[in-house]
Amino acid sequence: MAQSATTGKRPRIAVLGNIYRTHLHTQHIIDRILEGYDFGAEFRKPALNVVSIYVEQRGEGDLVPERAKRHNIRICDSVDEALTFGGNKLVVDGVIYIGEQGNYPKNELGLIPYPRYQFFQKVVATFTRTGQVVPYYTDKHFSWKWEWAREMYDTARKMGFPIMGGSSLPVTWRIPQVEMPLNAPVKEAMCVAFGGVDSYDIHAIETVQCMVERRKGGETGVEWLQAYKGDNFWKAHQEEVWSQAAFKAALCRSHTLAPIRDGYTDVYPTFDQMKAFVKDPLAYHYRYKDGTRGTIMLLNGLVEDFNFSAQIAGEQKPFSCMMYLSRGRELATLESYFDPLAYYIEQFMITGKEQYPVDRVLLANGILCAGLDSLRQGEKRLQTPQLDIHYQPGQSTLRRT
Amino acid sequence: MLTRRRFLGYSALTPAMMVYRPLLSAAPAKAARDSSLPTVKIAVLGNTFQLGSSLQTITDRFLVGYPWEGDWHVPNIQVVSMYIEPKPAPEVGPAYGPGRVAPHSTERDVLSEGRANEFNFRICRNIPEALRCGGDHLAVDAVLSIVEQGNYPLNHKGQILYPRYDYFQQCVQVFETDGRAVPYFNHDSLSFSFQEAKSMVSTAERLNFPLMAGSSLPVTWRIPDIDIPFGAQIEEAVMVGVGGMDHADFNALEALQCMMERRKGGETGVKSVQLLEGDDVWAAGDSGRWSKELLSSAQSRSDALQGLTIMDGRPQNLVASGVLPQLVRDPAAYCLEYNDGTRATLLMLNGADADFTFAARVTGHGKIATQFFRGPKPNVSYSAGLASKIEQMYTTRKAPYPIQRTLLTSGMLEACLTSRLRENRKIETPHLEVRYQAPAESLYART
Repeated sequence: MAQSATTGKRPRIAVLGNIYRTHLHTQHIIDRILEGYDFGAEFRKPALNVVSIYVEQRGEGDLVPERAKRHNIRICDSVDEALTFGGNKLVVDGVIYIGEQGNYPKNELGLIPYPRYQFFQKVVATFTRTGQVVPYYTDKHFSWKWEWAREMYDTARKMGFPIMGGSSLPVTWRIPQVEMPLNAPVKEAMCVAFGGVDSYDIHAIETVQCMVERRKGGETGVEWLQAYKGDNFWKAHQEEVWSQAAFKAALCRSHTLAPIRDGYTDVYPTFDQMKAFVKDPLAYHYRYKDGTRGTIMLLNGLVEDFNFSAQIAGEQKPFSCMMYLSRGRELATLESYFDPLAYYIEQFMITGKEQYPVDRVLLANGILCAGLDSLRQGEKRLQTPQLDIHYQPGQSTLRRT
Repeated sequence: MLTRRRFLGYSALTPAMMVYRPLLSAAPAKAARDSSLPTVKIAVLGNTFQLGSSLQTITDRFLVGYPWEGDWHVPNIQVVSMYIEPKPAPEVGPAYGPGRVAPHSTERDVLSEGRANEFNFRICRNIPEALRCGGDHLAVDAVLSIVEQGNYPLNHKGQILYPRYDYFQQCVQVFETDGRAVPYFNHDSLSFSFQEAKSMVSTAERLNFPLMAGSSLPVTWRIPDIDIPFGAQIEEAVMVGVGGMDHADFNALEALQCMMERRKGGETGVKSVQLLEGDDVWAAGDSGRWSKELLSSAQSRSDALQGLTIMDGRPQNLVASGVLPQLVRDPAAYCLEYNDGTRATLLMLNGADADFTFAARVTGHGKIATQFFRGPKPNVSYSAGLASKIEQMYTTRKAPYPIQRTLLTSGMLEACLTSRLRENRKIETPHLEVRYQAPAESLYART
């Protein structure tokens, strides 16, 4: 199927969302598309025309009417209407769907089943009905369910439309502003982060993935994964299932290390202090096909940022940095880590080209689902033949300006 | 001039007040240090040792270490003595303005005893005792002086009369008496008075000891990690700051100066200053006295815009939307003209922003804009950056960047406040012909 022509004109965009309220992902991303954002020392106004919007959950606090009125956007009652205005042809050159947040009851697995797959299915139905396809962006990972995620990726490839997703972490500022050297012999990589299961863990996984994929040989896929929580986590830590040097390096990149001692503001914690502060530690530890190890940790109570570190063969010191989220700073009002994501979405819509490997998003999605599976199965080590996903890194997306 | 404050400071030298704290028994070292290097013994002087004070956040870096270059670094520095100025009696008298004294806290020293017990250092009753550790001769290798907050009167320009010069002079008296001088770090501006600041710098030169001063903004992380290319021609610069007059403005001016000093030809000093306030600030922007385009660039680096962003989170271009005059409380523009003709302006934008950002138009490099990152409380990661530079001076006996930066900044601020006193008139500043060459290497946190 042919892609709508986008050359020479500002691409017309349909926005789809679960919910559009202050400080939710839809606001962060779509507001940047509508209002502008910082890029290259300029307040940049994206060259996109949002022409339609469909948001599933409206009501109190809904920003749709205000934004639609000010930016002359048609408020639609369905995905299909947003893409076609009720006609038989697509009226847009691209679709941006923000399927994060909103009130959805937890499912039997204890997860919030955000309807990303269902929205995708509706979009695909319209693509099929009109015989046209356009670039599709879906926020964060594809789906909480691995089979659906895989199907979404495969469907996009089969129908021939470019698809992008993913977290803002791989593209945000880093402190320090460093990139994993291309072809580095990475032995082990880690992200020490915070937040909840099936929520912030994916950001930590993508943080690791955007660095690790640059290693020697490129991405080889994941062979097995094991989750650790509670006492098992501490035991694994002491037994050095993951590198303690990498762990320390990551913690030393944090700007939010918990004030573990009364009367002090910044001290490095002992093992016992960490144990006392982190009530519910969690890790997904995994082995890539080529032997490289990955670990992500959610250590609520110890840090409130995303800190990356890696052991590289031949290097004495771990490679490390923090992935910058303005959130957590007491004075910050803007979630500026969405700026570069807005930029890549804009470029994606203008060029129709995926701006970084979407296989990264798919693999991270798979690691997440495997982590959730391991947790459900009593932290069992699971073989992951489904994660035999190979790819090469694209251009560095380290934010520099 | 010998003020009452100053007199009280010196009177602490009387023998009757030299009550020594008994030496504590040796405690094991609390953190692993590199034992192959000689330990630098330091005296800490200040007036506010409470949680979150600069004295606490900086001194603790030398006691418990700090995160640096992806590791927990424990410096080879040992705090051996500490002098915390007792809470002064309330000031009586005019202090230029009815009842105007600087904001104060009642509990200024809540931590020294606990720290002294844990880290085995001596609490001293006066500065000479701290420098001599209770003996007859200078017994430290370096001095850390952090004077902030406290009950000090304001002068007619609204400057808080922090006794930083007095602390310094008391140390110099010991240096001269004992025939040895050691590296000295003075936190923040050198003095409210440029003359005093200048005398501090020349004294350090005369006695040949390294002197370093200033705040953490010039050395903190930047978002993005970008510097003025060394030797490039700066066409114009705008700095945005927030906070109070004669406090946060110093930090902002120093951040601005650490960029400006890298320009072509090096630092030439400041020819004139003018502090504009109120609607004059916006009129100056309209007439091109400062660049709106650069303000927009600087604010594009902010993560803390106010106004509608607070209401519903939206990003904004506050310059383009024209809402700054409605948002900003007590706007102020510190307009600087350097001797080489370069212009720079600090805009204090309380109510519209809460970050410190900078933008400059640089010939051949376009616009360069960045945020001086102030990490969240309580960790305040910026103080680790500063501690690392202080440590460098203590261990190498060489200041990593010239004291002239802080000297000039102290003078710029004083001159701007003089302009304010003279109904915001432009004033010529021949006394600020402070020339110096900045190091070519970028010295802020970036690794």
